[in-house]
Amino acid sequence: MRDVFGEDPEVILAERRYDAIAKIMESAVRKKESKWTFTDMLDHVFLHKALGIPIFLTLLWAVFQFTFAFSEPFMVMVERFFGWLGGFAAEGIANPQLASFVADGICGGLGSVLVFVPPIFMLFLALAILEDSGYLSRAAFVMDRVMYRLGLHGRSFIPMISGFGCNIPAIMATRSIENEKDRMITILVNPLISCGARLPVYVLVGGALFGAAAGSAVFAMYVLGIALAILMALIFRRTLFKGKPAPFVLELPRYMMPKAKTALLHMWERGKEFLKRAGTIIFVVVILLWFLSVYPWAATNGGEIIENSYVAGLGKTIQPIFAPFGWDWTTTVAIIFGFLAKEVVVATYGLLLGVGEESVGDALVSMGIFTPLTGFAFMAFVLIYVPCVATIGAIWRETNSWKWPVFTMVYLTVLAFIVSGLIIGIGRLLGFT
Amino acid sequence: MTDFDIGKGKTIGIYAAVLGVLYLAIGVIEVFGGAGDAIPGDLFGGFALVVIAATFLNGVKRSFDGEHIGLSFIIGGLFLAAVFGILYLLLMGANGLMFLLGEAEEFSVLADFRPAIWLFILVLPLAYLAREMTKEVTW
Repeated sequence: MRDVFGEDPEVILAERRYDAIAKIMESAVRKKESKWTFTDMLDHVFLHKALGIPIFLTLLWAVFQFTFAFSEPFMVMVERFFGWLGGFAAEGIANPQLASFVADGICGGLGSVLVFVPPIFMLFLALAILEDSGYLSRAAFVMDRVMYRLGLHGRSFIPMISGFGCNIPAIMATRSIENEKDRMITILVNPLISCGARLPVYVLVGGALFGAAAGSAVFAMYVLGIALAILMALIFRRTLFKGKPAPFVLELPRYMMPKAKTALLHMWERGKEFLKRAGTIIFVVVILLWFLSVYPWAATNGGEIIENSYVAGLGKTIQPIFAPFGWDWTTTVAIIFGFLAKEVVVATYGLLLGVGEESVGDALVSMGIFTPLTGFAFMAFVLIYVPCVATIGAIWRETNSWKWPVFTMVYLTVLAFIVSGLIIGIGRLLGFT
Repeated sequence: MTDFDIGKGKTIGIYAAVLGVLYLAIGVIEVFGGAGDAIPGDLFGGFALVVIAATFLNGVKRSFDGEHIGLSFIIGGLFLAAVFGILYLLLMGANGLMFLLGEAEEFSVLADFRPAIWLFILVLPLAYLAREMTKEVTW
């Protein structure tokens, strides 16, 4: 069959099966509507062999442009609120340790994370609109063509798209993949799909370094994540999980005009997870970070001389590993604590730079922490290196083994060093500093 | 046999061709660094305009032939033009809000009136024509 038709026999069988179903439907079902529908018409375009992928990339870029640029004024409002609250607490609390805890720890640390509520909610709103319109399933279909040619399973792309929200439910969604090898590959590459928790890092660093092109820098991270996921899946298919992927049959829903209420509900359902994390794990880590950044109290002069703090000692000890990338000890600390939850990366800067939430981005530039090149490499590092501890837990539960979470952490860390190193190396060759 | 009236097909085909060429020209200018304040350089934004152009131009010939696939590409192009027109309108609103908050030194409606917005306005008559031709079509 392969010789005659030039296609995989299972794909031909699936196509023929659906042709037969369509013929039976044609003779058995009498429709009142016209001979073609908007769904048919739009599928000619959005599933087009040549235009399908450029349209997908274009819409994805629109999502991130919207997420970044439209949320900016709302972020300013949240920043100002926490700035005011921190100032109020600092002035109103007599005990200096308690004042530092409330103003710098809670308002400064947690505030610098909550500033990113607007872009995260905007991202989820845009994704909800795409999902409710029926387009996201088409995106999976369009990507399946590329993925199948690379020897990957098309169904893998659906958990990948879920990964834009959070990698944990995305990894759990791989249960729908029957073939064990396909499922394992999808689980192992899912952390490369950039989740909502990494968005604050891109928005902070991208916004500070790339100005009007910040939306494109954020988009580049998401595309880099997809490209690396496909590349790693291909490597795993050729090495650890040899074999052919099972054919992918996907029933595409009708296109629909998204309803505002449903889209807002979906946005809230996903966005509230971020708020929950902010109130639990991020809060606890921020308190820990605050403690490590102001103690020993006498040596830091009540948090004034952060260079003498415990956290500075930790950062400076490990910093030589990241020295070739041009990253200082504050970035080292951000990377270490980012393992617990990626949002903590921005909280770390909020605490360690000693400036208000509204000035963290400017401080990253004025204090020389990043240049556009080293900042871009850092964004890529945060995208790739060890996923958060909860994702590692999800991989352990889904694979029922410690072997795969450990393997994931090791390969992602190695990949992060390679990609960031390449960005720095190529950038320097091109004349960037 | 044609799917719709050839005369109407030619009208929307010509309109789509003109729009396609405009989107393509401006998209290419944006990709290669822009031309003054009216068409600022924007790599990905320009690429998006080129994709919209390709979608419109793909539908021209078959619209002339009265085939519904031609109309499909024109409607697809209309959707994309609307997405980007509305996106840049929202961004203009966000810039205005930043100015009101005192975060931006100036706000110029003309400078923020990006090509995707005025091209979207030019697209509206075509949307009306396409709507007339698809009144009976359901989702």
